Amino acid sequence: MRNEIAAIFNLVENEDKLRPLTNRRPIASLPFACRYRLIDFPFSSLYNAEASSAALFISESGHSLYDHIRSGATWGLDSIAGGGVFTHSQIRLKTSNAEENFTASYYDDHYKYVTRAKAEYILLMGSSMLSNIQIKSIVNYHNDKNSDVTIAYKKLDRSIFREDSSYSAYEFDEERQGRINNITPLTEVGMDEEELAVGIEVMVINKKTFLDYLQKARERNLCVSVKSLSELALEDNDKVYGFEYTGYLKAIEDIKSYFEANMEMLNEDNFNALFYRADPVLTRSKNSAPTFYGENAVIHNSQVANDCEIYGSVKNSLIFRKANVAKNAQVENSIIMQDCYIEEGAYLNYVILDKHVYVKKGARLEGTPENPIVISKNAIVSGDEK
Amino acid sequence: MKTETVAMILAGGQGSRLGKLTKQIAKPAVPFGGNYRIIDFALSNCANSGINNVGVVTQYQPLVLNQHVGNGASWGLNRHNGGATILQPYSSVDGEKFFRGTSHAVYQNISFIDAQNPDYVVILSGDHIYKMDYEKMLDFHKEKAASLTVGVMPVEWEEASRFGVMNTDRTERITEFQEKPAEPKSNLASMGIYIFNWPRLKQYLVDNQAKNRQMDDFGHHVIPAYLRNSESVYAYSFKGYWKDVGTVESLWAANMEFLNPDHELNIRDKNWKVYSQNPNTTAQFLTDTAKVKDSMITDGCYIAGEVNHSVLSHNVKIGKNSVVKDSVIMSGAVIGENVTITKAIIGENAYIYDGAEIIGDNGEISVVGYGEEVGGYKDAE
Repeated sequence: MRNEIAAIFNLVENEDKLRPLTNRRPIASLPFACRYRLIDFPFSSLYNAEASSAALFISESGHSLYDHIRSGATWGLDSIAGGGVFTHSQIRLKTSNAEENFTASYYDDHYKYVTRAKAEYILLMGSSMLSNIQIKSIVNYHNDKNSDVTIAYKKLDRSIFREDSSYSAYEFDEERQGRINNITPLTEVGMDEEELAVGIEVMVINKKTFLDYLQKARERNLCVSVKSLSELALEDNDKVYGFEYTGYLKAIEDIKSYFEANMEMLNEDNFNALFYRADPVLTRSKNSAPTFYGENAVIHNSQVANDCEIYGSVKNSLIFRKANVAKNAQVENSIIMQDCYIEEGAYLNYVILDKHVYVKKGARLEGTPENPIVISKNAIVSGDEK
Repeated sequence: MKTETVAMILAGGQGSRLGKLTKQIAKPAVPFGGNYRIIDFALSNCANSGINNVGVVTQYQPLVLNQHVGNGASWGLNRHNGGATILQPYSSVDGEKFFRGTSHAVYQNISFIDAQNPDYVVILSGDHIYKMDYEKMLDFHKEKAASLTVGVMPVEWEEASRFGVMNTDRTERITEFQEKPAEPKSNLASMGIYIFNWPRLKQYLVDNQAKNRQMDDFGHHVIPAYLRNSESVYAYSFKGYWKDVGTVESLWAANMEFLNPDHELNIRDKNWKVYSQNPNTTAQFLTDTAKVKDSMITDGCYIAGEVNHSVLSHNVKIGKNSVVKDSVIMSGAVIGENVTITKAIIGENAYIYDGAEIIGDNGEISVVGYGEEVGGYKDAE
């Protein structure tokens, strides 16, 4: 495939339920599985589809995201032949009554990107649905069906989502196989419903159709998202098809699901399904030394990134780069992000430490699987010293 | 901006005493310390010393080495008008240009150095493990108004006869050079690190070549010629960790020393990082049957067995009930279940089948070559 896809990332996602982790970063740059960020997964899907450009639309500070993506070279997005990562931020204006308002330039930027891209198809993606989806398969399916819009979904039970979930389920036309005729927000579906076709925030649209929807979105002040575009498509009675994704998927809606997603990576089947299928998951590589495990280290069912020093005990946990667990410190069922230091004798269970947290000697933090304790970036957790 | 200094890393050597480990790859490309190849130290020293123009002279089995070095981006060298350039022997109307020795390799690449028009050329070996600030050595070179500065380090007197030894006067000027002397007059051993004023060196190389005088090796020909002609040749003393891992035993021992968290190389020093190519791979996965102590492990490893006092590179798999002790496992090696590995070096992508035993003894290190398979179905004998 040569330049067939232009990708638009709608990263205007609802991050409130993930605070404080999202206080200074969008969902897309949440750290995951010791050395990744969530954006690595859709970006790797782009790489594996040989796409050469992407446009990002984010609502607030994107520092952590830009720092991670840089030129996009990791994912082959820096080619001089039509490549590039085009970033657009601060596009959402919150009005006094908390209604969302999009600026004219928000739509102009989409128009500019899409009309300039040498692409037949527009791919729309978010970052809060963690998957390793093959874009090529969707595009092939899209062609086979001669579809206007193709939406990726996975069959999931209602109960795995939040009651106030922002995702939607699709319904199919019984006469015409695979064709979608209705979209229902999950909030309007009973919690005991099973096997729903839940949209996973991935959509392929023909370029011309996209431009058509873009104009309508502009007129009605709509977000350019999978949800609003599928509503427009169904309204116009365009050909909307559903593509079933059967691989690993986790919706990151809140702290609990974020915690679970990481913990699920300690299960070999999940880990292999996400990372070791045919297509690689790529992340920005950083220079690092191997991790050192000390004489009395105890390490059990855990993942650890390079550049750590482990002298204490680590069980059922994920340790990101440059973390240090001192002797006699115990870390269990926890996520320890980059640059954290855990002093002697500290005890952590069901805890998420954001980056660069310092846990003092003898400190004890104990959360629960339902409610892990989250310590904000750069915090110091005091210990037992008087 | 003018290029003041060009570094030439001589990376063409075979390192034949490393046996299987240098059969398909050159010595500078031999993996070390889990995350590195030997040449990473010289390249990182260049980057950290602010030398961005680096020629890497290769000859013996250069494929892995060339892929590893690339354009130098892994060391941040590909900036402005800098970069790493692979220099391989080539043929021309004058015939083939295989390198006959260290200075002959530089002679053959005069056009590369001239294209940068530098004042100084730093000659380095790609075979050594050490951290050194070449900028300090260059400052010394300028301060002494030297024509040549030789990097030296004090060695044990009883060891001195294994090296090229420099005798110096009180001003650190080299008065005499002895190649592997039976009775050394000094214990300052040459590290194979030289800073030359480029125009002068070029003159020596070109003139002598024209007169058909042998000028192929820095130690044997160039330094003696400089001293004969009373060039100002100085010795710059280096103190710190420096290792030439010439044999299987010394490569193994250097890796074992590297396990000490207080190792002199201070590999986690943020101010003098050792860079390398970093493969894109997952974090280390340690299962509920894993037991790891006193070891260094690198990303992409999957550990279900026991690892004790060992160094593991990227993407190594260790199966259940296997025990790896006092060993070096290079990247991509797969160790099955119930395997015992002690005092061994396992090459990249080697495959050790279930139940195999690889045990070094009587001071011998057991070596499994790159891609080699051990165990499994026995051949009918």
